[in-house]
Amino acid sequence: MKKKKIGVYICHCGGNISDYVDVEKVRQAVEGEDIVFLAKTTMFACSDANQREMVNDIEANGLTSVVVASCSPKLHLLTFRNVTQRANLNKYTYVHANIREQASWAHSDNKIGATEKAIHLVKAAIAKANYAEALETNKVKALKSVAVIGAGVAGMKAAISLSNKECEVVLIEKEPFVGGRVSQWDSLSTTTETGKEIVNRLYNDLITRENITICTNSEVISNKGSVGNFTLKIKKTPRYISTSFHPEDLKKAIEVCPVEVPDEFNFRLTPRKAIYKNYPGEYPQTPVIDLKNCTRCGACEKVCPAVNFSEEEDIIEISVGSVLMATGFDPYTPAYGEFGYATSENVITLPQFKRLIDEQSDTLVYKGKAIQNIAYIYCVGSRQAKGDNTYCSRNCCTSTIHAALTAKNKFPDINNFHFNRGLRTYGKQEILYADSLRSGDIYLQSYEDGLPTVTIEGKKTIVKINDILTNGKEIEVEADLVVLVTGMVPRADNKVGTLFKLPKGRDKFYNEIHMKLRPVETVIDGVTIAGACQGPKNIAESVNSALSAATKSYSIISKGELESEPLVATIDPDRCTWCGACEAACPFDAIMKSEKEGKIIAAINNAVCKGCGMCAPVCEPDAINVTACSSTEIMSMIDALV
Amino acid sequence: MKDSLKSSSYDALVIGAGIAGGEAALNLANTGYKVLLVDKELSVGGKMIMLSKVFPTLDCAACITTPKVSEISRHPNITIFTGSEVSNIRKISDNEFVAKVTRKPRYVHVEDCTACQLCEKACPTSVRDQYQFGLIGRKAAFIPFSICSPKAAAIDIDNCTLCGACERVCPTHCIDFTMETETNELHVKTIVVATGFNLFDPNNIPRYGYGKYKNVITAMQMEREIAPTRPFHTILRPGDGKVPDKIAYVLCVGSRDATVGNPICSQICCMYSIKQAQLLMGALPMADVTIYYINIRSFGKGFEEFYQQAKGMGVNFVKGKIGRISEKENGNLILRYEDINKGKLQEAEHDMVILSTGVLPTKGIDGLFENETLTLDQFSFVGQSDMLASPAKTSIGGVFVAGAATGPMDIPDSILSAGAASSEAISYIIQHA
Repeated sequence: MKKKKIGVYICHCGGNISDYVDVEKVRQAVEGEDIVFLAKTTMFACSDANQREMVNDIEANGLTSVVVASCSPKLHLLTFRNVTQRANLNKYTYVHANIREQASWAHSDNKIGATEKAIHLVKAAIAKANYAEALETNKVKALKSVAVIGAGVAGMKAAISLSNKECEVVLIEKEPFVGGRVSQWDSLSTTTETGKEIVNRLYNDLITRENITICTNSEVISNKGSVGNFTLKIKKTPRYISTSFHPEDLKKAIEVCPVEVPDEFNFRLTPRKAIYKNYPGEYPQTPVIDLKNCTRCGACEKVCPAVNFSEEEDIIEISVGSVLMATGFDPYTPAYGEFGYATSENVITLPQFKRLIDEQSDTLVYKGKAIQNIAYIYCVGSRQAKGDNTYCSRNCCTSTIHAALTAKNKFPDINNFHFNRGLRTYGKQEILYADSLRSGDIYLQSYEDGLPTVTIEGKKTIVKINDILTNGKEIEVEADLVVLVTGMVPRADNKVGTLFKLPKGRDKFYNEIHMKLRPVETVIDGVTIAGACQGPKNIAESVNSALSAATKSYSIISKGELESEPLVATIDPDRCTWCGACEAACPFDAIMKSEKEGKIIAAINNAVCKGCGMCAPVCEPDAINVTACSSTEIMSMIDALV
Repeated sequence: MKDSLKSSSYDALVIGAGIAGGEAALNLANTGYKVLLVDKELSVGGKMIMLSKVFPTLDCAACITTPKVSEISRHPNITIFTGSEVSNIRKISDNEFVAKVTRKPRYVHVEDCTACQLCEKACPTSVRDQYQFGLIGRKAAFIPFSICSPKAAAIDIDNCTLCGACERVCPTHCIDFTMETETNELHVKTIVVATGFNLFDPNNIPRYGYGKYKNVITAMQMEREIAPTRPFHTILRPGDGKVPDKIAYVLCVGSRDATVGNPICSQICCMYSIKQAQLLMGALPMADVTIYYINIRSFGKGFEEFYQQAKGMGVNFVKGKIGRISEKENGNLILRYEDINKGKLQEAEHDMVILSTGVLPTKGIDGLFENETLTLDQFSFVGQSDMLASPAKTSIGGVFVAGAATGPMDIPDSILSAGAASSEAISYIIQHA
C-alpha cells in the first residue's frame, strides 16, 4: 500500500467547538502522526474561503485523503466530500470526525476531557483514512414519474406543479372525492373565494392534464423498491355507480336510500345516506355508495339504472421514481367531558362550527335553539400542559377569529366571547384580530394553569375564567353555544406512512430531515412530505411546502438516473451458509435469499442497502463485509480510540 | 467567483441573494437553468448570514448559510452580481423580460484579492461598521465581514480619502480606483423577487431612548454580540463595556403598533428574542433575562416547546408593554410598564435593554418595473395575486416572489416560499418555451 498523505482540518465552528475543545491542542496532538502531512485549524471549515483553501492544499501537496473534525456528518459530510471531489480526489477518501456533538457539546462541563476525547476521535478518523479507498458510486435508473398521495390542496398543487414540469403523476386519494379539508370550508380569510371554489379551480386544471392520473377511493396497499423505482400496489374501491348516470335518477336514488349515518364531511353534525355526495359541485361528479353502511336493500337500483353493485375492487400496480406524501391532518377530537364535549348538548368543535355557519342562513340555530352568545375556548388539544400535544397548532387563532367574524356578519345578533391563551395572529393576520376587536368581540385570557371551565347550571351553560387582562377577575358568560377551538393532529390512520416507514417527530407529524436545509425530504430516500402531514399549516403555507416538495421530487428524478452510495454490505459467497439472520436484521428489506452457482446464499440489493451494518455482526460465518467499514478499518479505529 | 457578464441572457433573474433568493437560485440551477443572482450588498447571504444561532433548533446560522453560500457561488449555472442593482424591468413577451443591472464599482478586482487584510490595516479612515450594526468601526478599505462571499476587500468610496495607502500595500495589486459603474442589459425568461425586509428603526420611538441611551441596543446588535464572528469576545453593554447581568427584551418595537404605521405582527421577534435569551443564559450564567411581551407567538414547528424550554431555563416572561425607558447616572435603565398580571404600573431597573425591532417591507420594489405594474399589498409588501392557491404569484405573469418580500417570515417559511417560487418559475419557463 502506498503511504498516505493526509490533510487534517480542525474546525472552531465559531466557538461551538473551540469554546470547550482546545482545537490548537488537538492539532498539535495529531500533526506528528506519520501519515499526517498537514494539520490546520479553521474558524469555519464549511466556509467558502476554507473550502477553497482545502482544494488548494490537496492539489498543491498531492494529499491522498482528508479528515475534517467538525460537526455531525449529517450536516457536512457531503459538503467536504464535494470539496475532495473538486480537488480531483475520490470523494470516498474523505473521513469525517464529529467533535462538536460528540466532544464539545456533550462535555461542555469538562474542557480538558472534551479536548482529550476530540484528540481520540480525530486519531480514529486518521486511522480510518489510512485505509480509505477510492470507490465508485452505483448508478440507479430513475423513473420520471411521481406518486402523490393525498388529493387535498397540497397534493393537487404538487400534482399540477409536477405535471407542468412534464413529469408523469399518479394522484392517489383515499376518499371518494378530492379536495381534502379545504373543500369543507366555505368562507376563507384573505380571499373572496370559498374553499370549495379553490378546490374546483384546481380540479378543473388537473383533469385537463394528460400526464396526471387521478385515483379516488384508492389506497396504497404495498410498496416495493426504492428511490428511482418504487412499485406501489393501489387498491381502488368501486363507486358502484357508473359514470354515465342521469342526475335526476341519482337524486331519486339518494332520496330513497333508507340508511342514515353521521356525515363526516359535516363533522357528524348532520346525517347522510349510504349513497351520497358531500356537496353539489363536488369532484369527481359521480356520487358513491358507501358499502360499509349500505344494507343492499336495492331501493336505489330500482330508481337509478346507473347503480351497479357488480363493480369490483381493482388492484393496480404502478412504478414511480419518487413518492410525495400530502396526507394532511385530522382535527383534534376532544376527550369525553373535555370542556363539556360530548357531555353537554351545546358544546361543539371549531370545524363543526364552521360547517354550521356555512349551512345556515338568517338565524343561527343549533339543536333547535337560537344562538346568541358564543364562547370560543382556544387551544383545545394544543399547547397542552398535561398531555402529549405540547405544540401550537398555528392556524386555529386566525381560523377562529375569521369564523367568529363570518358568523357575526351573517347573524348580526350574536355575541362572540373568545377565551384564549394569548392570540397568535402572526404576521398580517393581525389585521383580522384588529377587525374582530373593532366589531365588539370580547377577549378573555388565561395561562395554561388557569384554563376556563364549562359548567352546566340547570339549563344554562356557564363558561368561567379568571381573566388576566382584568387583573384575574372571575368573569362568566352564559353561552348558548361553546365552540372548542380544536387544533391539528396527525392523521389517526397512518397505514400509508407505516408502509413507507416514514419517521415521525415528537409531535407525531412526519419529520423532515432538517427544518432549514432539507425541509421537505425524509430519511427515506425519494419520499418527500408536503402540507399539514409535516405539521400544522394554513392553506398558503401548505401550498408553499407542496410546491417545494414537488421541486424536490422532480429534482431527484429529472435526470433519469440516480447515484447511490457504494457504502453497502457485500456477501462472501464462499462463507455464506444462508441462515437468514441477516435478512431478519436488515431494517431496509435489502437482503434476500438467492442462488449462486447452485448454492443458496444471501444477496444484497445495492439500491436499497444503506450500509448501516446491522447485518454484519449477526453473521456467524463472518460472510458479510460493509464497504469502507471492514474489520481492519474498525479495529484500527478502535486501536486509535483506546 | 464569476463576476464578468459573459452572456446577457439567462433563464432566470433572482433579485436578492438572501436565504430565500439563494434557495430559489439553487433550485432553478439544479434543474438545469441559468440564473443571474443579484444583490445590492457586497456579500450574498442576506440577513441570515449575520445571525448567531437560529430557532428552534439552535443550529449555528453560519453553519447553515456558509455551505449554501458556497454552493451558490460555485454552481456552474449561477452567476452572482453583488453590489449591484436591478432596474427598468420591461416585459417584452411571455417569455422575455429585459432589465438593467447596474454594478457599482468595488474598486477591488475580486478574483485577485486574497483577503489578506493588509489594505484594512493600512487604511487611515475609520467609520461605523454597518455589518456589525454600528457596534464597532471598520476601515474605508475593508472586508465586509469574516464569512462574506465573495471574500474580498471593497473600498467604501464615500468615506475614502483617496490617500492611496491601501493600493501601496496590496500584494496582488488588486485595488483599482479606475473601476467604473457598469450597466448591463439583461434578457431573462422569468424573475424571482426575493428582496427581503428592512428592520424598524427604533429612533422612530424616542421614548425608548435608542440612540440616546448607550445601553439600549437592537436585537440585531445583540445578534452580532452573540454570533461566532462577534465583534467583542464577550457580551458587553456599549455604554461602559460592563458585562450585563440584568437584561431586558422589549418586544413589538415597531410592530403591532399603528402609531408608527405598522399594525401587523412581525412574526419572528418573539422567537428570536427567546432564542437570544436562551443563548444569553448560556453565555452569562449569572445574568437575569426578562422578556416584556404582549403575546408570545411561538406558533411554528417546535416553537412552543422552545418557549417552554426558555421558561424552564429561568427566562422571566412579563406580560406588559413598555411605555417609557429612562436612564440612570450609572447607565442602567428604568423601564416603566403596565404589568398585566399585577394590573398596575411598575418600574424595573435593568443594566441593558434590547429592542426587538419589527419587520418592514423593502421599499420601492414596484418601481423596478417599467411597463407592467407590480402590485403591492396595503403594507407595501409585494402583493400575492393568488395568495392561497399560488402564494408565489404576483400581479405580473412570470414574476414570482419568495421569502420576506411578501411579508414577515421566519427562515423555514422563507425556504419553503423560495421552493414554491422556484417551482412556479421552472413551470413558467417550461410552459412558455
